[in-house]
Formats: sequence, C-alpha cells, structure tokens
Amino acid sequence: MPSPALLIVIPLIVAGFLEGFRKLIPRWLADLVSVLTGLNNFVLASAWTIHALARTQVYWFGDWYPRGHMALGIGFVMDGAGCAVAALTGLLATLSLLYSWKYAEHGGGHYHPLMLVFLGAMSGFAVTGDLFNMFVFFELMSTAAFALCGLKTQEPAPLAGAFNFAVTNTVAAFMMLTGIGMLYSTTGALNLAQIGLLLTGRHDRLVLAAFVFLMTGFLVKAAAVPFHFWLPDAHAVAPTSVCVLFSGIMVPFGLFGAMRVYATVFQGSFAPTQVHWLFVGSGAVTALWGGMMCFAEHHVKRMLAFSTISHTGLMTLAFGLWSKDALTGLFLYLVAHGLIKAALFFTAGILLHRFRTISEPALFGRGKALPWTAVLWMLGGLGLAAAPGFALYAGEARVTSRAPWTEGIFLIAGVLTGGAVIRVGLRVFYGIGDRGPTDKSAEVDETPETDADSQRIPWFLFFPPLLCIGTAVALTFWPAFTNAAYSSAVRFLDFRSYAHAVYASATAMKMLTAAKEPLEPDLLFGLLRAGLAAGLAVWAVQHLKVPRRLRWPSHLEGSMDPVRSLQSGHPGDYVAWLTVGFAILGAAAFWLGI
Amino acid sequence: MLADFPYYIAAWIFLCGLYGIVRSRHLVHTVICLTILQSSTYVLLLAIGFRAGGYAPVFAGISPGVVTVDPVVQSLMLTDIVVETTVVALLLAMVVKAFEKGGTTSPDDLRFMRG
Repeated sequence: MPSPALLIVIPLIVAGFLEGFRKLIPRWLADLVSVLTGLNNFVLASAWTIHALARTQVYWFGDWYPRGHMALGIGFVMDGAGCAVAALTGLLATLSLLYSWKYAEHGGGHYHPLMLVFLGAMSGFAVTGDLFNMFVFFELMSTAAFALCGLKTQEPAPLAGAFNFAVTNTVAAFMMLTGIGMLYSTTGALNLAQIGLLLTGRHDRLVLAAFVFLMTGFLVKAAAVPFHFWLPDAHAVAPTSVCVLFSGIMVPFGLFGAMRVYATVFQGSFAPTQVHWLFVGSGAVTALWGGMMCFAEHHVKRMLAFSTISHTGLMTLAFGLWSKDALTGLFLYLVAHGLIKAALFFTAGILLHRFRTISEPALFGRGKALPWTAVLWMLGGLGLAAAPGFALYAGEARVTSRAPWTEGIFLIAGVLTGGAVIRVGLRVFYGIGDRGPTDKSAEVDETPETDADSQRIPWFLFFPPLLCIGTAVALTFWPAFTNAAYSSAVRFLDFRSYAHAVYASATAMKMLTAAKEPLEPDLLFGLLRAGLAAGLAVWAVQHLKVPRRLRWPSHLEGSMDPVRSLQSGHPGDYVAWLTVGFAILGAAAFWLGI
Repeated sequence: MLADFPYYIAAWIFLCGLYGIVRSRHLVHTVICLTILQSSTYVLLLAIGFRAGGYAPVFAGISPGVVTVDPVVQSLMLTDIVVETTVVALLLAMVVKAFEKGGTTSPDDLRFMRG
C-alpha cells in the first residue's frame, strides 16, 4: 500500500503549486488538477479502508517506533472508521470541486488551493493517532475553512459570517490546546494510546478539567447547542461547494474528534455509563433545537445549516449511547447524512445559479421549469426524514434498536428537518399554497456565484447531487457497508485493541470476525416518519385552507422571533454563549460524578 | 503555592481575553483580545515545561544528565504561535475588507445575518 502520508502530502503540494502559479495557470487546468487530486484522495482512502478493515494499520513517520511504552514519533492509526471518513471527505471534495467547474467564481485563484488544504487537513485529522497532531490538523482545517467562508469579499455579509465563525472556533481551539497542555503536564505524553494507558483508572480534577476543555473544543466544531451560533452564519454566506464540505463532513468531524479522544484517552478514566447523560442530553437538546430553528427558517441555505445542527445532535446522542449498535448506526448515519446534505446544498446551489436568489419567498413558484431538480430536492427531503430506502434510515434503526426511547427524538428531528425541506420544495418547485412568512435572514440575499448569462444547468451542476442521492440509496442495499460499519464500531469502542495496534501493530483477529447480529428494521416506523414530514410540509403551505386554530405548523414556521433573536450575529454574544456552554458542560460533568 | 502562580496567571489572561471579546465594540479590538486569550496558552505551556534550575534545551555542549526545561512544550508553543499568526492575519484582512465594503468596524453594524 502507498504511504498514508500521501493523503495529506499530495493535496498540500498541489495546493502550494496552484497558489504559487495562480497567475499563470488557466482556470480549466486548476479545475482539472484539483478534481484529480480529490479523486486521488478518495481512491487512496478507499483502498486504505479495505486494507484497514482486515487489520488496523499503524504508520510511524520516519520509522520512529515506540520504545517500550514511550511513543517517540508521530503515528497514523489507520482503522476502519478513520479511513472511511477520510474516503467520504475525498468523495465530497471531488464532487464539490467538480460542481464549481468553470463557472463558479474562484476568489482570485485562491479557491482551489484553499479547498485542497482543507481536504488534506481533514484527511490527516481523520487518521492521526497523536493528540497535538490532531490539534494542528484541526487548526489547519479551520483556518482554510475561515478563508473559504469569506471568499466572496465583494459583500460585507460574508465577511461578517466568516469573522464570527473564525472568532468562535479559534476560542474553542485554544480551549482544546489548554486541555492538551493539562494532559501533557500529568502524563508527559502526546500519543493518544500512551495517554490512555497512563490515565487508565485515574480519576481526579485535572483529568476532569482536561476532559471539559477538550470536549468544549470539539463540540464547538460539532455545533452542539449552545455552541452552534456560528454555523448558520457561516453556511449562509459561504459558496455552495464550500457549504457541502462544511455540513457534510467538517461539522461531523468535530464529533468524530470528540469520539476518538474519548475512546482512547478518557475511556479508562470515565466509564461510558458516567458520560452517557452528558452526550445524550446535549445531543437531544441540539437535535430538537436545530429541528425547530430549521422549520422556522426561510433562507434556504440557513435552513439546511440548522438541519445539520439537528442531525449532528442526533449523532451526538448516538455517541452518548456508546454501544456497538449505536456506533454502527452512527457511522452509517454520518456517511448517509453527509451524502444527502451534500445533495441538498448542491440543489440549492442550482436554484441560486438559475434564479439568482436563495430566499424561499422570492423563489415561490419559480422552480416549475426545473422538474428534475425538483425530484432531487424532494428525494433529499425524504432522505433527511430518514424514509425507508435511504441509508439514514438504516443508521437510525441501528441506533434506536437498543434504546427505543430515543425513537421519539429521532422522529421529531427527522419530521421537522425533512418537513422543512419538503415545504420549500412544494413552494418553490410546485408553487403550492402562498409565499409564506418572511424573515430578516431571508431578506439578506446572496450574491450569485456564477455568470448571469448562463441560464442552462450544465451536467456538472446536476451530476454531483444525483450521485450523492444515488449513493445514499444504494448503500442500504449493500450489506458489506453495514458489516464494515459494524466491525469499525466494534474496534472504535475497544481501547485495548487500539492500544495493541499502536504498540504491536496488530489487532486481535477475533475482534474483526465478530458476527453482526441481524436486525429487522421497523419499516412501518420509517414510513410513518416520512409521511409525517410530508404531511407537516403540506399542512404548512396550505395553512390558509384550514381553520385558524388548526394552523399551528404556520406558527411553528412564522412566530419564532423570540428564540430566533438569540441568533444575534454579534461575535461577542456567540463567545458569551460559548462560555455559558463551557460552564454548563463543566457543571454537568462535575454533578454527574465523572 | 508559588509554583502554581503561573497557572493562575494563565487563567487570568484567558479570562481577560474572553471578557474583551464578549464586550468588544470594535473588530480590531476583538482580534487583539483573541491574541490576549491565546497568550494564556503560552504561559500555561511554558509553566508546564519549567524545571527549577533547568538549562535551555540546547543539547550541544552540555553533558548528558544535565537538567533542562522540557523542549516538547516549547515546540508546541512554537506551533501555537504559527497557528495564531495565521488566524490573526486572516482576521485582520477580513476587518480591512469589511471596512472597505461596509464602511464600519463595529460588530453591531455588521450584523447582516440575524434570526
């Protein structure tokens, strides 16, 4: 197998080359080279996934193997989950770069290099086995993301959105660094496995403080309530192809980092039963809050951003359950959500390209000319509501199979987010009902990303969402995918096998052949959820045809100003909320007796 | 007690930076407060690596076994500085652009995305 370092090195070198010669390189060549680089990452990471599913591989840079218990060098731990997430990153980056082919504005030649740095940093973050290395990749990916978010510098709004995003996430990154410093001070180690071994059984204030600092850092990226305020602002202003990477993979990466650090570093100190409520509670609140805000939103991209908050909350909830089934479901959910959310953002980008606006009231009835785009959008909405036949449904069924009481939260979040997407579809593509209420954020429109004279929809705008939806459906009919998620989950949970892989470069084979228990998904429940989502959407758009006291979906849609005003757009407020969240997390951890 | 002093300083600087960002009325002020918040991590990391009577970790010309301060945290700090410089440069560039396009440097006047 080629070295896993190529996952990071190739995008970074190509990025440097494109940036250095950006005045000389024609647009088509920059597009071609970046798409090929993304594709290379996808193929390489997929090959590594297959390789790593058979046995967890560890790559030590410069052959600096551990001496005894002391990890001297920096190691990449190539396990099933990490490699698969890196492959998903490669796929989404390839499609995003293809989507922005030729037409999309490219920020004076900086767009392609930034996208490739973003890709390289995320790939490294997925597989690294070193805590400080993780921080560096995290910051590299954040910095590229800040710049990509504020790429449209002709308008002040993108700058404000990117500024809020940058300030909030940088404060979080320094909290993370403080946590890393604390862990280093007590263990003298930076390798995840080594810290984990040294901390096993330790249970004191310092470890608790490090836990709270690190988890805050990751949860800000994962947009858990009340750390989520930056996310809608950033998504509303970033270019479409960048939004795909933000929602599809960067935000879930925050959660993935939290999971990785918990599984390796803290699992020996705080048992899963102790942290259970911390993440289940945070996930449930985030899922419901995000769902509610999503339904109340009328700026299409911001609406999708709130649905990302909601679905990442559901994944956080699955993380809190911390069982084989919950984690299998979480991995299925992560991949499926990434694909479906990417498809929806791509489709929203088509609307922006064709009609030069992204606000729901302004788009009313104008989408009738685009029947195929309408099909994609509606399928995306059903997929988001986890209708049977989409991989999201398989993931959701896995998570709730051992914890039936979480079904209610999945139901409400799925119905609200899926319902909101279908509502937009009904109004925009079919012109049903009325324009609906408007709001401040929908009045702030977005500058189109493409030339005004191009009214056609070329294949490279249509192909990426089609492929995403197709893949999200196809994955449910591919049993190997579920099996791979299962064996990744089993190994992700087990710190001893991780540490064994790091120190002996081998994993107990019996872990890998663990049989997957068969699961009969509850088809009826999936149909009910999809039906409710569609029903809610129809109810909301046809609200004038029902008696006044039965119009509660339109209250849910239009009368949420008190809660919406929390989203104030002021970086100071967001950091204040971050501090409050940090205090709540710390107090909860203390109170739960962690 | 005295050995713990740098940690209190680090916490104090962190809180100063946080307070500054929350109360900020000017974007440049916000960015500077972010660098203040960040310097708390310098103090923290250096305090962690400090050894009383330790030499600078330059291993040329000193005999093995001589106590030095921890070089790992110093390299962490160096990386930290690089990260911080990048972010601050980017943020200040955004402030300049925001002033050019919006004619203001107050976060209150740049709130386009509300609700």
